[in-house]
Amino acid sequence: MSVAPAQDQVITAPARTRGITRRQALAAAVATGVGVGVVRILGGSMQHIAAPRTGTTMDWISPLKSESARVMQLLRRTGLGYTPTHLEAALSDGFSKTVDRLIETPPAEPPVLAAANTPGGRFPVAQLQQWWIDHMFTTSTPFAERMTLFWHGHFTSDYRKAADDTFMYWQNLTWRRMAMTDLRSMLMSVTTDPAMLRYLDLATSTGQSPNENYSRELMELFTMGAGNYTEADVREGAKALAGWQVPQPDSTATVVVDAKNNVTRKLPVYSSQKSGVFNPRRSYKGSVTFLGKTGPLDTQGVIDRILAQPATAPLIANKVVQHFVTARPSTGYIKNLGDTFRRSKYDMKTLMRAIFTSPEFVADQSYRSLVKSPTEFMVHTGRALGISSFSKLVAGHGSGMGQSLFDPPDVNGWPNNEAWISSNTVVERVNFVTAAMGQVKGSLPSPSDGIHRHLDGVLSPQTASLLNQAADDRARWFILLASPEFQLK
Amino acid sequence: MTREVGINQLKRRDFLKAGLVFGAGASGLAAGYAAVPDAFARAVYAAKKEGMTNENILVMIQLAGGNDGLRTLVPLADPALHDLRPKLAGPMVSQALPLNSQYGLNHNLGGVKRLWDKGKVAIVQGVGYPNPTFSHFESIRIWETGDPTRRQVDGWLGRTLATNYDSNGHPLTGCACGATDAPGALRDLQATLTVIQNQKTFGFTGGTEVEAAVGALYKGTPGIYGALFDTAIATATETMATLRTSASTYQPMADYTDKVRLVYSSKNQLAAALQLAAELIVTGTGVKLLHVTLGGFDTHYTEINRHDDLMGYLDSAVSAFYQDLAAHNMADKVLIATWSEFGRRPKENASGGTDHGAAAPLLLIGDPVQGGLYGAEPSLTTLDNTGNLKYSVDFRSVYQEILSGHLGADAAKILGSSYDRVPFLKAPVAV
Repeated sequence: MSVAPAQDQVITAPARTRGITRRQALAAAVATGVGVGVVRILGGSMQHIAAPRTGTTMDWISPLKSESARVMQLLRRTGLGYTPTHLEAALSDGFSKTVDRLIETPPAEPPVLAAANTPGGRFPVAQLQQWWIDHMFTTSTPFAERMTLFWHGHFTSDYRKAADDTFMYWQNLTWRRMAMTDLRSMLMSVTTDPAMLRYLDLATSTGQSPNENYSRELMELFTMGAGNYTEADVREGAKALAGWQVPQPDSTATVVVDAKNNVTRKLPVYSSQKSGVFNPRRSYKGSVTFLGKTGPLDTQGVIDRILAQPATAPLIANKVVQHFVTARPSTGYIKNLGDTFRRSKYDMKTLMRAIFTSPEFVADQSYRSLVKSPTEFMVHTGRALGISSFSKLVAGHGSGMGQSLFDPPDVNGWPNNEAWISSNTVVERVNFVTAAMGQVKGSLPSPSDGIHRHLDGVLSPQTASLLNQAADDRARWFILLASPEFQLK
Repeated sequence: MTREVGINQLKRRDFLKAGLVFGAGASGLAAGYAAVPDAFARAVYAAKKEGMTNENILVMIQLAGGNDGLRTLVPLADPALHDLRPKLAGPMVSQALPLNSQYGLNHNLGGVKRLWDKGKVAIVQGVGYPNPTFSHFESIRIWETGDPTRRQVDGWLGRTLATNYDSNGHPLTGCACGATDAPGALRDLQATLTVIQNQKTFGFTGGTEVEAAVGALYKGTPGIYGALFDTAIATATETMATLRTSASTYQPMADYTDKVRLVYSSKNQLAAALQLAAELIVTGTGVKLLHVTLGGFDTHYTEINRHDDLMGYLDSAVSAFYQDLAAHNMADKVLIATWSEFGRRPKENASGGTDHGAAAPLLLIGDPVQGGLYGAEPSLTTLDNTGNLKYSVDFRSVYQEILSGHLGADAAKILGSSYDRVPFLKAPVAV
């Protein structure tokens, strides 16, 4: 044992009974006799835990009464982790100025991806993944990347079906630029996005024989939610939306696709980013009955009719809250946010500001109430360790934890929070920490600082105990990053 | 008799487990087994759990995205099919592998056809439920929970784990193979289950030191996710210990190739998942309920190639799996069943594909099966008001037969009600 116990004050949690679930009751039974006090380290050094006690406390002690803890929670949830420099700047600005900066700073554009001019977009998706992860590490506006990741999971597409990684690259650029605009223009960008046109088959739908895929998911997953429209709306919406096609290429290139048999193919080449094109000959000419009204309807009309539905604003508000505030929001909270969002003409800045400045965002109950997605966890790890050049490692480790960028499991994007926790994924998170530690050459930042910066000094007895027993700083950093505390935000 | 066998089987792995610092004693304690702390004693307790009356194993294969039933079991002589699917029907009918004058299997289901010829394949036609939803996620949830009213939150296999087995301390009783998160069908707060994406990489790369440290780290974790985290690690470490032993004694006796044609740039991951399932089964790890998933069935677009290729994946993986089990003398214990959230629209769309549908056939494969066609043939001319096939067999009837006839479980308790039997089992253990 290399860390001498200090005599700092140790606070154990007061007993709370709020919301004990069956699962928690299980955990309580297990922990009995082991020592359950949740310990908060106040000083700068680590110490022993108080004598084993058999309390019933099952919550983390929230430090959110303090401004600095609120700032750290804000950055943890909005910025894919942070470096000491990011943190110092935000702490000196304070919570509300930091919120302003997050919301008002336009997104920094990522560097151009050279591979994007590959004919047919036939380049390895790993290049695209690493390009984005590199930008997550180096950007001056990490919140823009967090929002792009959010929309990538909401308006999702996968590279397999899009079958053109240039289209996926464009989608990423578009989602970043539109992330903090308004839902009306966003829905038009999404509908006409080339990767989306492929992914949900709108590109092959015609007025004469409509494909329902996009019409259904536009309403079910992107805006209104199941139960708020009829099957007839899906069919009629599909008619009204038909006619979009992927853009014409600027040129074509003849590429050898099978060298052994000397097979060549003409593949499209695009000199710049384009969106889908509307071909009136493929559209539906008659009138449709969609969401209660009958008449001729174009794509903008479909979107406007969807935005006139009361179900749309709460669905988006709820989805954002699941990612940024709590997995179990009250209906009143979602209703208020939805009302604010709709009144603002679906302005994302208004919604995000309302969320970050709501009492719920910094309520004690919100402390560690979200599970970091694998991407957030991995990028945060790199930032905490001060390494920024391991996008290859990050891209390679995502799938075992359940998140491979540009490759969501299905049209509903990635599940969230508790869905990130399984026997497979938690082991893979630990293995990622092992791999990341292996990339650190030279000295490590102070683990004691790390515990305060990244875990607010709020540790479980087990984590505190293991940190105390750790032989050296490498072991301490391993425990810090592999701990349950670090998986949460 | 079977109980004694159960104890003997569990004995071996519980000796292994005795070497572990952190097992799933956690949940054992909570479930009231605190007085039986010794691993072996707990195993005896487990074997005596009421309802655990046989050694049968269930493998559910999810065909995610909505499998096209009409391309799986193809109507050979119905002219209506060609009216509904002018582009798709021709090749699918002409290439089908006939089972009788009316129906044939998709031409890529050659291995399944050979099992059919041996009487080891039952096909239940027209499976569905009342007032079908056409949402993937709602319908998946209905199939997973066994509840079209959407009130139930636990999965039907999770409830089976909780009522029929003692999964506490035996996390491999229920296992999702080839996945990173738990399928809804296996979830139940009272049950423990394991998720293994890839057996070869399932382990701590940092070695035993890391395993011990992490085991200590994830104990008594506070907060709403605490128990989930702790259970995940406890389950993982115990499973690793079991796999370490089983990997050395398992030799696959079939070729689980993943090198069929790529579908959406994916290899045949079903093959690897079923090979892992075979390993868990033949090495006596105590698995009872296994779940694997093959995705890509949402064929709104260019269905001819994609769906045929997926049928090829299913066929090669299931054929290898059956062959492997048979070579290890385990085929008589294992029932393989497919499920999918819905079938597809009988009428094709402009993209050379089909939109979301309703009723579809399910495949049941294995030695326990009484081969043949079950359920009423769905009409292609009398469709429901959404233009979809009407169901004739409630999916819970299939569950009922699996639960009571194969697993010897109290189906009415698990499903909340009793359903008509579909007699696709040769020798049901209980009715």
